[in-house]
Amino acid sequence: MNPSSRVTGLLATLALITTACAAGVSPSPSASASASAQRFDGVTLNLAAESDQYAAVLKKLAPEFQAATGAQVVVDILGYPEEYSKITADFVGHTANYDLVTVDIVWSGEFAMNGYTVDLKPLIQRDAGEIDSSDIYDVMWKLGEWQGKQVAFPMAGYANLLNYNKKAFDSAGLKPPTTMDELLADAKKLTDPSKNQYGITINGQKGPAGAQDFFVYNNQLGGHLLDANGKPTINSDANIANLNFFASLFKYAPPGAVDYDWGARETAFKNGIALMQEGWSVARSGYEDPSQSKIVGQVGTVVAPIASGMAPTHGFGGWGIGINKDSKNQDAAWAFIKWIQKEWVLAGSGSYIRKSTLSDPDLLAKFPFQTFIADSFEKGDGDFRPRIPQYSKIQDIMGTAVNEVLHGTKTAKEVLDAAQAQIAPLFP
Amino acid sequence: MVAPIAVYAIAISFYPIIYSLAISFFRYRLTDPSQTRSFIGLDNYVRAINDEGARTAVINTLVFVVGAVALEFALGLGLALLLWRDTRLNKIAAALLLIPISLTPLVSGLVWRAMLNADFGSIGWYLANFLGQREGLTAQSTTAMLAVIIVDAWQWTPLVMLVLLAGLKSLPVEPFEAAQVDGAGRWATVRHLAVPMLAPTIVLALLIRTMDAFKLFDVVFAMTQGGPGLTTTVLNFDVYKQGLVFFDMGYAAALSNILLVMIGIFAVIYIGVAGRQRREGLRVAAVRARA
Repeated sequence: MNPSSRVTGLLATLALITTACAAGVSPSPSASASASAQRFDGVTLNLAAESDQYAAVLKKLAPEFQAATGAQVVVDILGYPEEYSKITADFVGHTANYDLVTVDIVWSGEFAMNGYTVDLKPLIQRDAGEIDSSDIYDVMWKLGEWQGKQVAFPMAGYANLLNYNKKAFDSAGLKPPTTMDELLADAKKLTDPSKNQYGITINGQKGPAGAQDFFVYNNQLGGHLLDANGKPTINSDANIANLNFFASLFKYAPPGAVDYDWGARETAFKNGIALMQEGWSVARSGYEDPSQSKIVGQVGTVVAPIASGMAPTHGFGGWGIGINKDSKNQDAAWAFIKWIQKEWVLAGSGSYIRKSTLSDPDLLAKFPFQTFIADSFEKGDGDFRPRIPQYSKIQDIMGTAVNEVLHGTKTAKEVLDAAQAQIAPLFP
Repeated sequence: MVAPIAVYAIAISFYPIIYSLAISFFRYRLTDPSQTRSFIGLDNYVRAINDEGARTAVINTLVFVVGAVALEFALGLGLALLLWRDTRLNKIAAALLLIPISLTPLVSGLVWRAMLNADFGSIGWYLANFLGQREGLTAQSTTAMLAVIIVDAWQWTPLVMLVLLAGLKSLPVEPFEAAQVDGAGRWATVRHLAVPMLAPTIVLALLIRTMDAFKLFDVVFAMTQGGPGLTTTVLNFDVYKQGLVFFDMGYAAALSNILLVMIGIFAVIYIGVAGRQRREGLRVAAVRARA
């Protein structure tokens, strides 16, 4: 046998093994999938989770789920790009390394179109009594919904909020801004480089960090990436003006902000260098933790400002949890999803999906900012970052474009014209 | 005895290269629902030529390779000459200098990113306050590539030093003793004796570092994400993005083949130089033997 024949033989054997494994994949969860005690003895669920606060909570809850049902849950905590790359490779290779995956809201369209995860809609309808869908905010269903399919169950809803340093605002005689013009004016007034004090902190780093922060501010200024027909309108006059506004905020941000990602942005705010920061609600409780914050007790939180005269709408994001379509443990995976959505917030994830949680008097007494989170969820816009299959490409192109404007190498019109030319062909 | 080597070469080297070459002629995106492959000939290569990002990445890669390898060679040779003498202090110093090599490049990139942060980084703060680098080295298009080169040099200069030091220690002592007797100074001895005799080792060190520098990814991923703009986007980072973010395997394969050709060209040049050095060495040895 020559070497090439041996390689072919080896590949054929691997293909047969793969086929045999694929044949063993079970169908979608059966009606008997209730999480009765020890029903899943010997089952191991592998879960890919992005490294937000909820991931540590999932890890903490895993032994409790095992005690209740017998199924072991192994939580693999990954960085954002790593999770996307690993689970996508798992899906397209049909290797079923993960049974459960946390799904960013912006992946919904791509996952639904490609059928990577199980459509949970029939299961949600079947187990409606256990789930109490009416208690879940409407906007939460965007965490996994796409064209009639529900490819992930809502798990960690994030509201975009404005956090501000109360002490500095009181000293300057300011009230938290409600409009974007006020935000800019306050940032300017609070900035004093001689004291290493800056009005606001924002992500400027090339890539997802800069792109996503621009999308947030663009939404608050009334801009849209897609038109009413779902076609890209990247270089609209409104978006060009909004990108210029976004860049102007950096005059009142720490000098290094043009290279900030989420971690650096948070550090600047928690260290007291920057006095305002917009961010997801999940980070809010961390400001009161003295081990990571120098501004304990000084942070006020309100809904994020919007452009004058605009109808209130607030950025909404977060994570759902889905079941790999190739998983052999879909019954146990669905049982886990149902189980955590009951145990969730009280375990300290900082993530919300239910109205009853945000209106809970005990929790409100402890976290008064929950009022603003509730308000943001009621008027939440989960589509300000389009949940479409082309999103990752749009984000990449915009990540470079925004960064070039912040560095002054190109104008907003130049980069958005170029971005439109790159993005338009991605749409049929 | 040849069969295992042939199987190994086919499995590890030959098959992936042929496969990569083959799929570069297809439109093949893993995240397409149908996952179909359509033959498009050289379109992926034409796309790379017309793609401003890919063109910039090629230029940036060359800038990085030349800058980083030159800096690492200059510093590595200087350190090797300083540590040439076999003293206890030199041995301790050489061991300590090797520590950066033991770090994962991704980790060193993350640590350097934190240190260079202009607002609260341990180095960045001083650069901001004493040298006026208010935005930080990685945040400015004029200095970002320099920052990447510095980090790479910090990590890999010790390797160059180690290779050159091994070469220096293997040199015969007689020519240096003769030079000393003839009254040659230290600088003249290094310039006219040590460096020419070290030439094959220098070529080896340059070859290793050049091939490795072409593959730069981790530091860019951790420190700059290829920015500001496209300033530090190198070809391997672009390959990662096209292949493992967009799963556009055909285009990623085309880009990686371009990278392979670039490495191949440099390798051929170095190997040619090394062959010439070897032949020159043999000729000199033959002349000496006849004398």
